[in-house]
Amino acid sequence: MTYRIVEIEVTEPLPKLVLKSGETGFAFLLRRKGRAIGFLMRSYSEGTILCPDMLSEWIVQDLKTKLLQENIREELLPSVQGHLSFPSLTVAICTKDRPDNVDRCLKALLKLQQPRGDRPPQFQILVVDNAPSNDRTQNLVASLSQVCYVQEPKPGLDFARNRAIQETKTELLAFLDDDVVVDRHWFDGLVEAWQENPDAAAFTGLVLPYELVTDAQILFERRGGFRRGFEKIRYGKTLPGNPLYPCGAGIFGAGCNMAFRRDVLLHLGGFDEALDTGSPLPGGGDLDIFYRVIRAEYSLVYEPQYLVFHEHRREYDKLRRQYWSWGLGFMAFVVKSYHTDPLQRSRLRWLIKWWFKYQYHNLKQSLRGRNPSPPALVWAEIWGGIVGLFGEYGRSQKRVEQIRKQFS
Amino acid sequence: MKATPFRPYKVLNLELSEGIPELLPDGRYQGIFLVVWWHRIPLGALEILTQNSPLSPAQLTQQILPAITLPVGDRLLEHGFKASLPVTKAQLPQDFPPAYSALISLQNPLQKLSQQLEQIQIPPQSSVSVIICTRDRPEQLQHCLRSLQNLHHQPTEILVVDNAPSSDATKNVVAQFPAVRYLLEPQPGLSIARNTGIQASVGDLIAFTDDDVEVHPDWIFRLQQGFHDPRVMAVTGLMLPAELDSEAQLIFHRGVGGPGWKYRALVFDSEFFEAMKPFGVPAWFVGAGANMAFRREVFNKIGLFDERLGAGASGCSEDSELWYRILAEGWHCRYEPAAVVFHYHRKELEHLQEQSFQYMRGHVTALLIQFAKYHHWGNLRRLFVALPRYYSRLLWNALIKGFKGRNMTLITEIFGCFSGIGFYFSRR
Repeated sequence: MTYRIVEIEVTEPLPKLVLKSGETGFAFLLRRKGRAIGFLMRSYSEGTILCPDMLSEWIVQDLKTKLLQENIREELLPSVQGHLSFPSLTVAICTKDRPDNVDRCLKALLKLQQPRGDRPPQFQILVVDNAPSNDRTQNLVASLSQVCYVQEPKPGLDFARNRAIQETKTELLAFLDDDVVVDRHWFDGLVEAWQENPDAAAFTGLVLPYELVTDAQILFERRGGFRRGFEKIRYGKTLPGNPLYPCGAGIFGAGCNMAFRRDVLLHLGGFDEALDTGSPLPGGGDLDIFYRVIRAEYSLVYEPQYLVFHEHRREYDKLRRQYWSWGLGFMAFVVKSYHTDPLQRSRLRWLIKWWFKYQYHNLKQSLRGRNPSPPALVWAEIWGGIVGLFGEYGRSQKRVEQIRKQFS
Repeated sequence: MKATPFRPYKVLNLELSEGIPELLPDGRYQGIFLVVWWHRIPLGALEILTQNSPLSPAQLTQQILPAITLPVGDRLLEHGFKASLPVTKAQLPQDFPPAYSALISLQNPLQKLSQQLEQIQIPPQSSVSVIICTRDRPEQLQHCLRSLQNLHHQPTEILVVDNAPSSDATKNVVAQFPAVRYLLEPQPGLSIARNTGIQASVGDLIAFTDDDVEVHPDWIFRLQQGFHDPRVMAVTGLMLPAELDSEAQLIFHRGVGGPGWKYRALVFDSEFFEAMKPFGVPAWFVGAGANMAFRREVFNKIGLFDERLGAGASGCSEDSELWYRILAEGWHCRYEPAAVVFHYHRKELEHLQEQSFQYMRGHVTALLIQFAKYHHWGNLRRLFVALPRYYSRLLWNALIKGFKGRNMTLITEIFGCFSGIGFYFSRR
C-alpha cells in the first residue's frame, strides 16, 4: 500500500489527480492561504481519477466548518494582532546514528533560518549527537557553518535533551526529532503561538506524516498518527469536560516537535532521564515534561501551524515495537507521577483504569475488524502498559544510575 | 459534606464589532458566561472559568470562533449549517453540504451576515401588540416596561394584564407609562389573563413577554421579520439569562433554560410533526412563553390558550399546547434567535423546586389534553413509556451519585407528573 500525499491550497483551482500504478490512496494536506486547515486520507483503487468536483465535495463534507471558521478568523484578526518581538531561540535536534535523517531535517530547517534582509538568523541550530557509534553525524554537521554540534556520551534521549538545555543560552528552546522535516511555516507558527501566548512555558505543534509508502505507515496514520487537530489549544490549570486532566498527558502533543522557555526547563530540573531509556524510541519523557509544566501552573499551547512532517516506522515490526514502547512509556510516566505527585493520585488511578478499559475496547474492536490497528499491535501496547505499570520505572532508574556511574 | 459557598457567574455581552478586549479574571465569580454579538445579533455563547483567565484578545478570539461558526454559516449559506430539528427515533431528510465555491469565495462573512439580515422585509400586515401578564410583581414589571421603552421599532400598543392582584401596586406602576394600557383580569390564571389580553388587543401580531424579563431593543423587529413566511403562525426567540447570581439561576440556565441549538434558527413544520407523532411531538422545543408571538388570525382558527393549562392552573405548557395545535393544523412555528429577551431566573432554590413541580404537572396535563383533542397516541406513549423510563434512569443515577445538580429537583418532578394526571381528570 502506498498513499500519495498531496498539498491542496483551497483558494486556488483544485487539481485533477490520477493515482499511478502502485498507489492505493490519497492523503491531502489542505491549506487556506498557506495555513494548514485539515488532513484527509482515503484509499482508492489504482488508476482512480479524482476530478475537482469529487475533491471539492469531499472537502466541504469534512471541512466546511473549519473553512468558514478560518474565514471569520480572517475578518476578526486585524483587531487582535500583537507585535511583540520574538525572543531568541535554539532548535535542538537530538539524534543517534541516523546522519541521513539529520541531513534531511537540517536542510529544511536551514531554509527557514535564512536571514531576512540584513537581520541576523532568526534562530540557532544545535545537533546533539547521542552516544554515536561513528563520526558521520559529526562530519555532516562540521560541513555546515550555521549549525552547532555537541556530543552527549550517555545513551538516552533525555540525556541528550538535558544536554541541549545546558549547551544553550537562548530564551526559547525547541526540540526536533531527527526523523521529522519542518513545514515551510513551522517557524512562523511558533512565532504566532508565542505572540498570542507570550506567557506560555511550552509549545507543541501538529505532526503529519512525511510519507505513506508502507502498510505500517498507513496503519499508524489511520489510527490517528500524531495528529492533535487543527485548532489552537491553550492548556491551563483545568480543562472543562476532561475529568482526567492533566494526567492524560497524551493530549498535549508529541515530543518530536515541542518548544519550551529555557528558564522553565531549568526550574523544573529538565527532562527525566529515567524515561526514554534503552532505545531511541520515544517513551514517556515528553508526557512527563508536559505534565510537570502544567502542574507547575504554567500554560502549554498547541499550535497547528507549528507543523512538522514525521517519517513513521516503515516496517511493521518496528511499528509494533513502537506501540509497545508507548504503552511502556505511558505507564512508566503514570507510575512516576503517582510517586511524585500525591495530590493527583486518585486521578492517576482513574487514568490507569480508563487506559486499560480503553485498550480492552480497542482490542475487542480490533478482533472484530472494526479498528484500524490489528490485534497484535493493540496487544503490544497493552503488554507495554503492563510492563510499565509493574516496576519498569524503578528498573529504568537503576539503569540510568548505572549509565551515570559509567560516564562519571 | 463540606458546603462551599456558591460563587456566581458573570453574564458578559460582547459586541464583536467594537473589537475584542482582554478578559481579566475576577475572583468574585466562578466564571464568565460570555454571549457573543455582531451588530446586535447574538452568534453564540461560551463559558470561561475564572481560573483559566486572563485571556488576551487573540486567545479569546480562539475560544469564540468555534462557538459562533455554525450560527454564522446558518445565516449566510443555504445549506450545510442548519440546526437539525429535535427529532429522536425518527428520520428527517438531512441537510446537505454547502457549495464549495460559495464557501471558498466568501469574504468578510460577518459583515455580509448583518447586511443580509437587514434585507429581510417585515410583512406588510404586521402591527404588533405586546402583552405582559403579571401578578403582584410591580418592581419587576417596572424594569420590564422600561426596557420596552427602548425598543427601536415601537409596537402598536403595550398591554399589561393585571391578574387577580392583591393590591393596586401594579396599576400604579403602569400609570407611570402613559403609552401602556392597563387591563384588570380578576380571575386568576395565566392563560385566562393572556386570553383577556388577546381579546382586547388590536395588532396583526401578538407578542408575549413576562414581567421578569427585559427585552432587547430589536426584539419586536426581529419577531416581525420572523413572520416573513406566510405559513409561519408563531415565532419564538432566544431567552438569555440576565444574571447568574445564585445556584438556582445557574441550574435553571443549564437545565431547562432553553433549547440547545440556541443560536441557529429553526422552522418546525408538518414534516417535523409527522415524524414525531408516533412518539409524542415535543412542541415545547419551539420556545418559551416569555418570548413568543402569534398571528392574530391563528386564534380565530384554532382557539385561544387552553385555560386549564398555565400558571395558576396546571402549572405550565399552555404555550407548547398552542404550538402543538398550530403544527397539527399544518402551519409552521419559527424559532428566531435574533429576537432576544433577558430573563431573570428565580434566585431561590425553593422556587426551583416549585417550578419543577409545576413544569412536570403542566407537561403531563398537556399530554393528556393533546391526546383528548387529536387522538395522537404518541402523547400517551410519551406519558406512560418514555417518561417512566427517563425518570427511572435518572433516579437510579441519583441513588448512586446523589441528588445534586440536575437531580436536585428529581423527586419533585416525579410528584409533579402524578399530580398532572390527577389535575387532568379533576378538570376534564
